[in-house]
Amino acid sequence: MTASDGCGAPAGGVSAPADVGDQAVVQGRVTHDGAPVATGYARLLDSGGDFVAEVPLGSDGGFRFFAAPGTWTVRVLAPGGLSGDQSVTADTGRLAAVELAL
Amino acid sequence: MSRSDVLVDAAWVESHRDDPHVVLVEVDEDTAAYDKGHIRNAIKLDWQKDLQDHVRRDFVDKAGFEALLSERGIGNDDTVVLYGGNNNWFAAYAYWYFKIYGHRNVKLLDGGRKKWELESRELVTEVPKRAATHYTASDPDSSIRALRDEVVAAIGTWNLVDVRSPDEFSGKLLAPAHLPQESAQRPGHIPSARNIPWSKAANEDGTFRSDDELRELYSGAGVDFGKDTIAYCRIGERSAHTWFVLHELLGQPNVKNYDGSWTEYGSLVAVPIELGAAS
Repeated sequence: MTASDGCGAPAGGVSAPADVGDQAVVQGRVTHDGAPVATGYARLLDSGGDFVAEVPLGSDGGFRFFAAPGTWTVRVLAPGGLSGDQSVTADTGRLAAVELAL
Repeated sequence: MSRSDVLVDAAWVESHRDDPHVVLVEVDEDTAAYDKGHIRNAIKLDWQKDLQDHVRRDFVDKAGFEALLSERGIGNDDTVVLYGGNNNWFAAYAYWYFKIYGHRNVKLLDGGRKKWELESRELVTEVPKRAATHYTASDPDSSIRALRDEVVAAIGTWNLVDVRSPDEFSGKLLAPAHLPQESAQRPGHIPSARNIPWSKAANEDGTFRSDDELRELYSGAGVDFGKDTIAYCRIGERSAHTWFVLHELLGQPNVKNYDGSWTEYGSLVAVPIELGAAS
């Protein structure tokens, strides 16, 4: 199956370079004290602050969204009450990279 | 029906997970999540490999469901507690599915896998062994499932609740933003549908909002609780989450989940579609 068969989360994290194509990709990595955050969740919020999507972080702290052109917020939740927000602008055919240190 | 009949919390799971008549079931599209770690004594169901017919677009038939549950060691009298990732999307889908086939005692772990993980609760990799059973399913309960003709007939008459994100509803996106943008032939929504994203029914930790907040959410968005309701999303799992809220938590009598959802409706020929944000 491909990830597009379902609404669910694909395997956590970012294991291979995204084939950006005509997608507007938001991709990033989450760290805490310099180390990847392997357990946690990244959620994508729209410009109104509403939930759009959520994925578990990969073992490398990575996440990826297929968004649309525009401004988004990535919010990360991790054990121990850790959280963080980062604004990001996505464009078609481009990979918008996000580095989030909690 | 009340919240305590259909939802359990982590403390309940921790005190019942060794009870042989309580079957914890993790339901995820991402089966790697279960393999990486799961609640002790939980078995897994793969929503696609296990719960979908492999030829036609439909879920498995009664005999297939009986064979599946028998093989996994689930008995008719067992209490089934479902949980999963994605704020319980697929666990809610499986809950609806267990109800379709008449399982008596089924519950969701409130908050699902996410809340459990964020609270750093124990996850193990050991896979439990359950002895096979002889499971007997009921005939499918069509009162909680909508098919496409009912959906078209419900336009402008029933409550139609589109639980996708506002950008999917308006036609800007064809799929949730963590998936490549491909699916139905046409974007948009079913005319007269209200857009009440499933996520509005959940707190950030994945637990369900209170009954009062939920009632206010749906009535405030134009759902008439005196009417029958059909919920849909893209493939029917997020709308199973909303079906659970309306039918199981709020006790609405006639709520159907349209599991064909947008991937079917948005590819139908000669049905009406609306574009644009909710009015």
